[in-house]
Amino acid sequence: MIETLPDVALAANSMAESVVLQAEDGASGPAIEQGAAAAIGIGLAAIGAGYAERGIGAAVVGALAEDSISAGIGILLTVLPETLVIFALVALFV
Amino acid sequence: MSSSASNPEYVNARVRSRRNALFSDEDYRKLIRMGPSEIARFMEEHEYEEEINRLGARFSGVDLIEYSLNRNLAKHFDDLLEWADGRVYDQIARYLRKFDVWNVKTIIRGIYTDTPSEEIGTDLIRAGELPDRTVDRLLEVETIEDVIEVLEGTLFYEPLDSAYEHYEETGALVPLENALDRAFYENLLGDLGRPTEGPEAMYVEFLQAEIDFRNARNALRLARSGADLDPAEFYIEGGVLFDRSELSRLVSDYDALVDHIADDPRYGDRLDAALARLREADSLIAFEHAVDAALLEYSDRLSSVYPVSVSAVFSYILAKEREVENIRAIARGREVGLSEEEIEEELVIL
Repeated sequence: MIETLPDVALAANSMAESVVLQAEDGASGPAIEQGAAAAIGIGLAAIGAGYAERGIGAAVVGALAEDSISAGIGILLTVLPETLVIFALVALFV
Repeated sequence: MSSSASNPEYVNARVRSRRNALFSDEDYRKLIRMGPSEIARFMEEHEYEEEINRLGARFSGVDLIEYSLNRNLAKHFDDLLEWADGRVYDQIARYLRKFDVWNVKTIIRGIYTDTPSEEIGTDLIRAGELPDRTVDRLLEVETIEDVIEVLEGTLFYEPLDSAYEHYEETGALVPLENALDRAFYENLLGDLGRPTEGPEAMYVEFLQAEIDFRNARNALRLARSGADLDPAEFYIEGGVLFDRSELSRLVSDYDALVDHIADDPRYGDRLDAALARLREADSLIAFEHAVDAALLEYSDRLSSVYPVSVSAVFSYILAKEREVENIRAIARGREVGLSEEEIEEELVIL
């Protein structure tokens, strides 16, 4: 369960580093453009959603194998964390 | 054994669904009023259809019920080991090895008494970690020495091997059986360490409880029977309730022993009612049932406190064992003509 966390942290870390590098290059203006910042936000949200779906997906497959829920409910539960990404998309339009 | 990632979510989902399929306390009340063939019928209509149908031609009455229960238990527990990977597998296997111990003991006893291997085979509960292939080979061999040989590479090999000399000297099976039990219990807590919080700590606490109650049971039996045995020989390391010298001292004094259990901060409160009964009546069985019920209730609570951990699996394992024992008690009780109240006394109902 925890094995994937370091990977996520690593990805976030390298992203932050590249942001800092860019900040040193550009003498004026914001470190990153608004669009790029939104992209980073959406990307992080997607990583989070993916991680959440991993656990839920495994549980849903288990429950489906035991016939204790319907496939529709299973799919619904699995994609619930996807709403995180949708909220993150809001950042693109403001 | 498996090195892949652990998958508690998947195991949890399956286990919880199976937990719901177990008989409820309502069902037990119905079963108490039935005869053996009706019980078999009831089981066939529920979870045990496959086993009853397969064994129905060969056995009848209480034997049919008993063998179906064992088969079904083995099927479900084997499934657990099949689903689980990584850490979860290790945690489940530690506990399920107790069925390996049971099987090896049964086989050794069978060889000792010259029982035909088909008869031994029906008494086995193939729920442990040893693969079916190994168990089949164990059934084929003819001497106890060969049994030990087949077990080479498992954790039972070395203790059995060193106990074998002792067995040859005395001709009694006790050293071999003690060696098996010891190997199991020592491995139970083996390299887990002592985590202090979270589900890991609960898991260790659960296994410690298992050891403590085994020690307590042995001590109570010794104290009661007054047998002249060295209690230290039966002492199992790893519990928190007694240490070796305490146990030796307490075995000679029954009341002090009960007081010691009641004073323990971890168990005293949970076993209050059972200990009171243990003091006034001489019902060791009632105490053991109370211990089982307390453990089950505790593991149930843990499985809601730590939803994605091994707790739910243990709550299922305990509940399933309890179901099998309850149905067996009902069937046996009906067979010898106990009254409904007497059978109800024998059941572990929450």
